[in-house]
Amino acid sequence: MLRLSCSRLLKGSRASAFPLRVPSLVAQAQWRQYSAAPALTKDIIQERIVELFESYDKTAGKEILPSSSFTRDLGLDSLDTVEVVMEIENEFSIIIPDHEADEIKTVQQAIDFIASQDDAC
Amino acid sequence: MAGNKSQVLSLYRQFLRNASKFEDYNFRNYFLRKSRDEFKKHKDVSDPAEIANFIKSARQDLLVLKRQAEISQMYHFDKLVVEKLDRHHRT
Repeated sequence: MLRLSCSRLLKGSRASAFPLRVPSLVAQAQWRQYSAAPALTKDIIQERIVELFESYDKTAGKEILPSSSFTRDLGLDSLDTVEVVMEIENEFSIIIPDHEADEIKTVQQAIDFIASQDDAC
Repeated sequence: MAGNKSQVLSLYRQFLRNASKFEDYNFRNYFLRKSRDEFKKHKDVSDPAEIANFIKSARQDLLVLKRQAEISQMYHFDKLVVEKLDRHHRT
């Protein structure tokens, strides 16, 4: 009996159009999350990196340009560079693998690397 | 020599990374400070034997640091008033 009524129900639902319409996912995607962080643009990245350098003892008071080299212009040694790159990791909540971290030698390279990371925030 | 440099930098990175994992503020800052000071103290060493010695002892210390950092994460430590709660929500 149960099987019979179930099959009839199924048949019926297939024949007539299902009356209850589920709102499509497209409509839901238009909701804007006000809590979401703004998209990470290169300008914002640069601003945050410059801010980071300004708060770092050894580079405080120096002019930070995108073209600045860590060792030549900012006077950091290789140990300081490791530290700065780690601070950048913490700032953007990512982990930079060793071989990539060794390649970052200027502010611009750091900006480009962060911009290429999707999960940076 | 170049091999040594990248080895030492990698060790330094691992020291800092593991030291910053400590839950407890005092331990964390102690190990960060200690790692920085030790590496900076030896940065002008040029004797190969001494460098090899330093790398060897650093490797052993790193193992201890890793283990202690893991153990520290098994316990809860209240945040101190001097700690920032969340670096992304500072005003």
